[in-house]
Amino acid sequence: MTDKATLQILANHFRAASESMAYTLYRTAQSAFVKETEDFTIALVTPEGTTFSVPLDYGATWYPGLDYGPGIERISEYNEGDVCLTNDPYSGFLATHTPDIHMWKPIIVDGQLVCFAVGHIHNTDMGGAVPASLSRTLTEIHQEGIRFPPCKLYDKGVLNQELLDIMMTNVRQPEQNWGDLKAFVGALNTGERKVREIVAKFGVEAVTQGMHDMLDYGESQAREILRSMPDGVYEFSDYCDEDSLNGYPCRLALKLTISDGEAELDFTGTDTQLTSSLNVPTGGNPRHTLMLVGVYYILYSLNQNLMLNAGLTRPFTCILPEGSVVNPVFPAAVGMRSLTCGRLRSLIFGAFAQAIPERMPAAPAGSSSIVNVMTTEPKTGRRIIAAIDPIVGGSGGMPTRDGTDGSGADGAYLKNTPVEINEAEVPIEIIRYRLAPNSGGAGRWRGGLGTMLEFKVFSPHTRITIRNRDRSRFRPWGILGGKAGKPSDSILNPDTPRETILGNQDFVIAEPGDVFRIFSPGGGGRGSPLDREPARVFRDVERGFLSEKLALEEYGVVIVAGAVDEAATETRREERRAETDTTAFFDFGPEREEYEKVWTREAYDALTEIMFSLPVEWRFFIKHRIFRALEEAGDTEHGSAELVRRAYEGLLDELPQIREAVPA
Amino acid sequence: MSYRVGVDIGGTFIDFCFFNEQTDDIFTLKVLTTPSKPGSEVMEGLKIAQSRHGIEPSEITSFVHGTTVGVNTLIQGVGARLALFATENFEDVLELARLRMPETYNLQSSRPDPLVAKDLVFSIRERMRSDGKVLRALDRDSVVEAVARAREKGAEGIIVALINAYRNADHEREVVRIVREVAPELFVFASTDIWPVIREYERTTTAVINGYVHPRVAHYISSLQAALREHAVQPEPLVTKSNGGIMNAELGKENCVSMLLSGTASGVMGGAFVASRAGCSDALTIDIGGTSADVAVIIDGKPQFAAGEKVGPHSLYVPAVAVSSIGEGGGSVAWVDDFGVLKVGPESAGSDPGPACYGRGGTKPTITDAFAVCGLIGHDSLAYGSISIDVDKARAAVGTIADRLGWSLEATAQAIINVAISGMYLEINKLIARHGIDVRSFTLVAFGGAGPMLAPMLALELGIRQVLVPTTPGVVSALGGLVSDIRNDFIASHYLTVASNNMEAIRAGFEELKREALLWLREEQKFKGEPTFLLSADMNYAGQSFEIETDLEADWLEGEDVTAIIDAFHARHVQLYDFHDADAEVNIVNLRLVVTAAGPRPELKSVPVSPAPAEPARHVPAIFADKKVQAGLYLRHDLVPGHSFEGPAIVIQSDTTTCVPEGFSASVDGFGNIMLQATAEKTLI
Repeated sequence: MTDKATLQILANHFRAASESMAYTLYRTAQSAFVKETEDFTIALVTPEGTTFSVPLDYGATWYPGLDYGPGIERISEYNEGDVCLTNDPYSGFLATHTPDIHMWKPIIVDGQLVCFAVGHIHNTDMGGAVPASLSRTLTEIHQEGIRFPPCKLYDKGVLNQELLDIMMTNVRQPEQNWGDLKAFVGALNTGERKVREIVAKFGVEAVTQGMHDMLDYGESQAREILRSMPDGVYEFSDYCDEDSLNGYPCRLALKLTISDGEAELDFTGTDTQLTSSLNVPTGGNPRHTLMLVGVYYILYSLNQNLMLNAGLTRPFTCILPEGSVVNPVFPAAVGMRSLTCGRLRSLIFGAFAQAIPERMPAAPAGSSSIVNVMTTEPKTGRRIIAAIDPIVGGSGGMPTRDGTDGSGADGAYLKNTPVEINEAEVPIEIIRYRLAPNSGGAGRWRGGLGTMLEFKVFSPHTRITIRNRDRSRFRPWGILGGKAGKPSDSILNPDTPRETILGNQDFVIAEPGDVFRIFSPGGGGRGSPLDREPARVFRDVERGFLSEKLALEEYGVVIVAGAVDEAATETRREERRAETDTTAFFDFGPEREEYEKVWTREAYDALTEIMFSLPVEWRFFIKHRIFRALEEAGDTEHGSAELVRRAYEGLLDELPQIREAVPA
Repeated sequence: MSYRVGVDIGGTFIDFCFFNEQTDDIFTLKVLTTPSKPGSEVMEGLKIAQSRHGIEPSEITSFVHGTTVGVNTLIQGVGARLALFATENFEDVLELARLRMPETYNLQSSRPDPLVAKDLVFSIRERMRSDGKVLRALDRDSVVEAVARAREKGAEGIIVALINAYRNADHEREVVRIVREVAPELFVFASTDIWPVIREYERTTTAVINGYVHPRVAHYISSLQAALREHAVQPEPLVTKSNGGIMNAELGKENCVSMLLSGTASGVMGGAFVASRAGCSDALTIDIGGTSADVAVIIDGKPQFAAGEKVGPHSLYVPAVAVSSIGEGGGSVAWVDDFGVLKVGPESAGSDPGPACYGRGGTKPTITDAFAVCGLIGHDSLAYGSISIDVDKARAAVGTIADRLGWSLEATAQAIINVAISGMYLEINKLIARHGIDVRSFTLVAFGGAGPMLAPMLALELGIRQVLVPTTPGVVSALGGLVSDIRNDFIASHYLTVASNNMEAIRAGFEELKREALLWLREEQKFKGEPTFLLSADMNYAGQSFEIETDLEADWLEGEDVTAIIDAFHARHVQLYDFHDADAEVNIVNLRLVVTAAGPRPELKSVPVSPAPAEPARHVPAIFADKKVQAGLYLRHDLVPGHSFEGPAIVIQSDTTTCVPEGFSASVDGFGNIMLQATAEKTLI
């Protein structure tokens, strides 16, 4: 056992090593993914591959619990100077889509493997069917670029030139990839040097013991937080708007069981794996980091002294049905898993919100769309590809304050581009960039407002891509009487006869004079809006965040001649309280309520049962056919298991070969 | 006799540094601050100087002053009630900021409220294009209406910040003119008059901070000017600036942001000056007080500059000497979490009640208490006799957590020090990685009340082999004011590709900056001597979202040498990021010009060194690096150039205590600095 002062000292030294690696990578990498969106991670892992130290200042927030073991064990021998890599999701589910190259370098002191310096970097392109390797339309992993199973990029310090040449031959921007890989190797070397210093100072035994004690410490912290929650079973489901291009909703379901400092996360009831790239590859690993990102956020929010490492994941066990969205089988495409991961976070937030409502916010916007423009400079004809802005929504209403406007929660890491920079660099005119009034879910503490961006283009065939579009239909939910936030949308030529509503469409072509508008969802509200102080409601009106109309309709606040009419407000609120149902924990908004009239719990359970009785290759097809059959049946009020079964039977009659495919 | 005076106002004390221009002698003194009567302590200090050192006010030829009035106004949230006039459809500029939140893992991370609430933000109907042409003409009625509503809301002043004004400030100027016409009682600042840089949030918030602190800063400077006149101090007072320079205090009344970080910056300047005179051109200055611990990087005798420095929860986007916080100083509280793990900070006992051993009612164990328990401080009073150490109180405080850990008092105290040092190591390490420097050949320059106490242990951790403790570590900031140049920054955002067809525009841009700079220097600063101009540009590769400042030479502009400019940028890029992109288009985003003008600079007095071992006043029991030792106790005023001694040792003086662990040898150089040298073959790291 490391003593409790040395433990903290070692933790500081290891974090110094991780931070040094992250700074080195950030400083020397070339691609925009690293420099601008910080889509990379760095860590130190035990010889078994367990992450025990991560940086906090730079990088993405997804991988403090990542297990490098499945990658590490696929290499038979480690020597000083080796650097290994993989980007293949199906070789151990370490990499989770092809643009992410994970690398690891053994740190060997006096013949003993002490630990590995590791990390990942998102490459702009790894080849495959589409530029940047990612599209919802892709249906199998082979379309998503070249894949490298775990292999050595450097063997005893010698570069594997053949391997590199193969990569360079297959990707669209080889120079940039190689530049980033070099920066990455530099960062791993920095990590090795720092760890060697730590070993020289503390000794190899203390270091080895220390890393395991750090994991135990993280584990105890997580257990302590779980113990502070009431034991119980908490069920929740949430939806991605579409399971494929213009598809049907994708349901994610969770049954959270908290019991004496442990938590089981059962994802049974989650949709079948998709014939699109929205699948989340986990290999069924019960502690796969992609499934626990929402958990890291919750634990860290409840204890900011949390030691972020894989120890945190030990009290958690995920049940991930094979052939589902959260455990797809080869060769399912997985490129756009980040969209689904966003919804998985809201799923986890919703389950925990029921366990500890006094400490949890309502749903954050849950959709951060990245707007990119490809156009030409009218004067010079020069091609321009530019990231315009991430359109991040507000965070959910919190226990003692409003959700953050325009940012926050699990979108807090994104940074915008100033209007003046966009206009100087890209031939567009930004018409407005502001918070979206009235978008925050009403509540005692309202949801944060979404943002709105609107711009005009000047060149023909201007292509606008908007990555990760979701929440245009199903809203960020409110809790404890708070209302759902307003959904997102995007529109071409708004308020004109040529107006086109784009919804979740992630690609649009605009012509000179066209105007593109997008706004993000508002966060969900928390607590009854009728309990919000009228002065605070009035202040939102004065600030232009809420219209007088909604102040009256949603909050029952009567404003007359620029002031709150206290008496009229009280009367109005009394009436409203009498007619309000206060029993529901969540408010999902009308879209989901309508949807669930057809797709009731029973109906969906029946669907799930059918789905998982089928071979994987049939599932997505049959899901869509059953959905279509129910649409055609036209009953929008009374969904039932019976209807679903009948639709399936109809399909069996039409396509008897299904029976042959179903295992007995 | 004639004297130059440097004054630095800190949280607890005001430091004075008097430099005798004939003899090169330096006198220092400290008086307690009296926050209720700003300026009065300055007068008190001058009176003490008169009675104690015979310095007559009329003999003062230069008075340089660093003040925290602006910072305090900002941090305490007691600034002016402002209205912001913004371009219609872009009114949420302060709310949106740059989106990213301070803590990315925390679902409930929060940002400070904007300094202007949204109900005091008013729309101006106008729009300038990014090329400086008018897209929508300014609607006068919208300004008049905004003024009326601002008045209704009780605004004391107005900030005008319009989209693309960096390129064409006509609309901002016209709005200011209309405001002055219809509301002469309100003060008004245009964003482009404060810092005319591209990026609307950064420019707007800079102007807002300026307006926010303006009334208090202006009042303070006026009071000081009046008091100095009353005491027959002839020269106009100067103030130290965030950029490490100085300017007439009068100018600070309008350009308040440029002097916001005046104290911290002059500390770095003072530290850099002492270090370079002592022959150490690469250094880390480390300034640790009771409530703060700041580090700055000095390379080749020069501090590093940055924009975006933190001031409390706010960021300041004007050029400032880059200083990084590495903790909360000697008052950081040690505690044990639910799992029995020992932590230090971020809670601080501050200056009130302060560490338990100060005997002012503090009961929580702090870093300072741990030093007291280890016998490393408390052999004399601290802070010019104003604080005497009560070791029993320190032991009682440390005892509260020793019980929880189940360790002895001494072991606990040592552990607190070790954890604190490792936390500072972590923060400094990030700074090192960010700069991509190897600090093993650097000197750690320690000042502030607690700097010399912690620095040698920190040096061991960082692999730094040399630590410099200036003669009077408490007044390095005050000295900084005396050694700084008149300095001002000018910027113009152009956004041009570096190509021969743009060279004329680039050259003209610099000419314009130079004209502005000379106007400032002659008309406002009233300086008659020869200035120096430093030219640079913020440049990037097309598509990069950030810029790198690259120094340029006047010849390149005269000769329209495109290649030289591009090569300079490539070289700078390699220096910072280890690669360059020979094929990429290179842009200039901002042109920058720094005008500096040197006043007479004091030379530190050096005396010949004759090596001799120093004799300790006595030996005291102390704990160094987990070992009980008898440490030599030295009195700083008995040490003379040439003296040397070995660790473990403790050096006491009225403004600080230097703790010299085993493995260091100490010597006093010709300037009176203590230079600690690691002697061990190999330091720990």
